[in-house]
Amino acid sequence: MRLLDWIVLLGTLGFIVSYGVWKTRGSKDIEGYLKGDNSMKWWTIGLSIMATQASAITFLSTPGQAYEDGMRFVQFYFGLPIAMVIISITVIPIFYRLKVYTAYEFLESRFDLKTRSLAALLFLIQRGLAAGITIYAPAIILSTILGWNLTATNMLIGILVIIYTVSGGTKAVSVTQKQQMAVMMGGMLVAGFMVVRYLPESVSFGDAVAVAGKMGKMNVVDFSFDWNDRYNFWSGMTGGLFLALSYFGTDQSQVARYLGGKSVAESRLGLLFNGLLKIPMQFIILFIGVMVFVFYQFNQPPLFFNESAKDKVYATEFAPEMEALEEQHTVLFNQKQEAVHGLVAALRTDDETAIAAAQAEVQGITDASKVVRNDAKALIAKATPDAETKDTDYVFISFVMKYLPAGLVGLLLAVIFSAAMSSTASELNALASTTVVDIYKRSVKKDKDNFHYLRASRVFTAAWGTLAIIFATYASLLDNLIQAVNIIGSIFYGTILGIFLVAFYVKYIKGHAVFIAALMAEAVVLYCHFYTDIAFLWFNVIGCVAVLVFGAIIQFVMGEKGENLAD
Amino acid sequence: MKDTDNKPGEELDKPPFFKSWKSMYWLVLGNLAFLISLFYIITRIYS
Repeated sequence: MRLLDWIVLLGTLGFIVSYGVWKTRGSKDIEGYLKGDNSMKWWTIGLSIMATQASAITFLSTPGQAYEDGMRFVQFYFGLPIAMVIISITVIPIFYRLKVYTAYEFLESRFDLKTRSLAALLFLIQRGLAAGITIYAPAIILSTILGWNLTATNMLIGILVIIYTVSGGTKAVSVTQKQQMAVMMGGMLVAGFMVVRYLPESVSFGDAVAVAGKMGKMNVVDFSFDWNDRYNFWSGMTGGLFLALSYFGTDQSQVARYLGGKSVAESRLGLLFNGLLKIPMQFIILFIGVMVFVFYQFNQPPLFFNESAKDKVYATEFAPEMEALEEQHTVLFNQKQEAVHGLVAALRTDDETAIAAAQAEVQGITDASKVVRNDAKALIAKATPDAETKDTDYVFISFVMKYLPAGLVGLLLAVIFSAAMSSTASELNALASTTVVDIYKRSVKKDKDNFHYLRASRVFTAAWGTLAIIFATYASLLDNLIQAVNIIGSIFYGTILGIFLVAFYVKYIKGHAVFIAALMAEAVVLYCHFYTDIAFLWFNVIGCVAVLVFGAIIQFVMGEKGENLAD
Repeated sequence: MKDTDNKPGEELDKPPFFKSWKSMYWLVLGNLAFLISLFYIITRIYS
């Protein structure tokens, strides 16, 4: 990294942290600290919601995903706008009427204390682990590419977030997220402009999109139905809707964003703003990935994008084999470059036969290149068994580091840091508010003054932040940790969603029934995890459906006796 | 819940751009339909 990059990176991050601390200084009560005095306007809420969802991995992985798989991932978000409308109509008015600080507080007025505490604990376990991964995932990629110390990178991200989140609470999270979103979108648009500008002079923007289309990357929408296809219109409209409802309706890291709104209208508008802009935003990020793909049709890509992992092979007995693969890769690239220029020329003639012939030639060489790439991955796995052989997360950052000029590299690194900080800040803020409001204030120290709870909120924010850094630091010592965290998340998420679905939509089921149903559902999910081969993503559905079914049966058996006192 | 189901105090929470929330919701859903149609056209043109 050059001096200018350091100035841009540290200047951007320093400004955001200082502005967040200065702008939100002097929170004097828990209302201001946890709900931002209910003063936030809809555009702040909307940007804050988008920034919370967009983690660093969004900006590192999504362009790489488009590079490998094209645009079709955007369909995953098709259910999101519908979820925003449903939550605006049903969830927001109820939360506002009850003046809750957290989503779980609502469960006590609908059911009882034990159900509220159970949901809060499940959230704390799940989100507490996820906060560490939100820091660790970009840190491991940045430290690999830039040669930075992993622990120092973890600590840099974590400490910067702790400073302004502890200082200003919810308002600091939302205020800084406005700047972070500006950095993220500004940086990505500049990167998109640069990649198009770096295409050969003989290749126009239209040619680039046409080439991407002929190479199968402009596959935005697919209406065909296939259970095994993860991303199509139908999976987006059903699975995407289901996930968006649970994430935005029950996860405190998102609920806190719109609970800080000035009114029901501001909160609704914030969510609808996300419903309008989320899909175009994902489209732009994916499209930048597709343009990086086209760029690499005219400029030789690395054989393996995580070059540090590849270089380690050269220190082993497998070095000659890797060298031979690199040579094959170069030969194939030279052939392909000629073929792609031929495809561009054919596209300009509008001659279908010529286009089909050129397309077939490019496809043949692409398939051969894939074989070489797969051989290289297999060789890396053989030579260094601990190495990660998936390199799509490194595609975009590798392009940024190699081709962007001084200053812009710093800006794009600021994008990744901003994304990591914005989602971590929301998580720490949500963990602290749930710990204080749903556990500490409700069940541990009930009769303390406002100042005591404000101080407790700050202490818990710092404690969760420290835990996240420690977790991120030791994450690399455990095998398959990210998958382990995803499994733990899926074990709890379905049950939490089931409890909330009953709370909002099934008035017949009361407190005792839903609590027992939630425990039984959790037991079913744990049984599936330990004694069956069911893929862990299905645990979300199983847990949710189990709460609904068991709840209805138990309520039917219990009859009137099962009604909780709150009713 | 209908827009007319608002409790006292919520009548102040009218949308700033349209007469009713229903219109706002239709804007979001209409935008989704427009984007999917646009993406379908892009997919067809460049396939």
